[in-house]
Amino acid sequence: MRRLALVGLIAGLAAGLGAQEPTEVTAPDPRSAVGAPSGRALSGSALDAESDRVAGLLRCPVCQGLSVADSPTGMAVKMRQQVHEMVGAGYDEEQILSYFERSYGEFVRLEPPLRGVNWLVWAGPVGGLLLGAFAIRRALRSRPGTVGSAGEPPSDAGEPLPGPDSLPADESLAAYVLSVRERAYGWPGGISPSRPDTLAPPRKAEGSAS
Amino acid sequence: MNRRVLIAGTALVVPLVAILLVGLGRDPHVVRSPLIGRAAPSFSLRPLGGGPPISLESLKGRAVALNFWATWCVPCVQEHEVLAGAARTWGAKAQFLGVVYEDQEDTALDYLRRKGSAYPSLFDEGGKAAIAYGVFGVPETFFISPEGRIVEKFVGPLTPSELSANLGKALEATP
Repeated sequence: MRRLALVGLIAGLAAGLGAQEPTEVTAPDPRSAVGAPSGRALSGSALDAESDRVAGLLRCPVCQGLSVADSPTGMAVKMRQQVHEMVGAGYDEEQILSYFERSYGEFVRLEPPLRGVNWLVWAGPVGGLLLGAFAIRRALRSRPGTVGSAGEPPSDAGEPLPGPDSLPADESLAAYVLSVRERAYGWPGGISPSRPDTLAPPRKAEGSAS
Repeated sequence: MNRRVLIAGTALVVPLVAILLVGLGRDPHVVRSPLIGRAAPSFSLRPLGGGPPISLESLKGRAVALNFWATWCVPCVQEHEVLAGAARTWGAKAQFLGVVYEDQEDTALDYLRRKGSAYPSLFDEGGKAAIAYGVFGVPETFFISPEGRIVEKFVGPLTPSELSANLGKALEATP
């Protein structure tokens, strides 16, 4: 008896409201949000394929990590159905994405569109890489004692580098260098055949040689 | 330390830390509805228990609390009494409407028979109303001004004070 009274109450509440303006059941119309369909109405396999493609561009709001096309949730199924109906009615991809974005926000697009601050998402990694490469190159060039970009030997606080055939000022060290050159290159006496005059060190040794 | 390196490092790190601080202060599950401030999507849906369809258009001139709910949703059960009580209190100024989300009509009707109801609940065939309102889950309640504009969206179970505050905001909203 109590149940019957409650059902009557629910129906009564509804009837009271509905009586103000008797209408038929109508779901929210995408036309009021994104205008008339601007594409070509599809049917058959083309409709299914296009619906799947567009549904793949939408994020499932329930599971969030999957697209509407991939998600098995009830809400994703309903969203797929909505996409299917919109594609069938001739709405194009941008209109459909805009319709969902209008209610769910940009979040619903799996790929953030290239606009506003989203440019940072696309350009940020490339810009970061370029900036990093520039910083590394700069750091390497300015650091003393490292190989420069031209593959030159490390410099020593701006002093001119000794030539390839020069010898140290220390006589015993010079004799050792000459013997090494003789063994390594086969030069008689360790003297370069192209530079027979190179017998003395090109510059004065720093400090006292012991 | 090289002065230029210090400046460049600060210019990079400070914005990143600021973004992190702002981001960490937010609930990542809450996405602000883009519908707030816009016209509420119109619909005309069949109420549970029979009767003619109810349209949002027919309710213009009164504030509307549009509550998406389901019988399987525990927070919805928690807020049921709050909504029913508020519907009785605010009945003269505001209209409460429920929309069944991802549920069976019979199950929802049976639930209302057991728990009682102070306002109509509508059946959203195909979930089109939930999609148009950008519903992520339940319960979610939209507060609509008498002119038909969405003033606020509340996610989660409402307390009496939260409900009153939001409904008051909807009633005070100027077109």
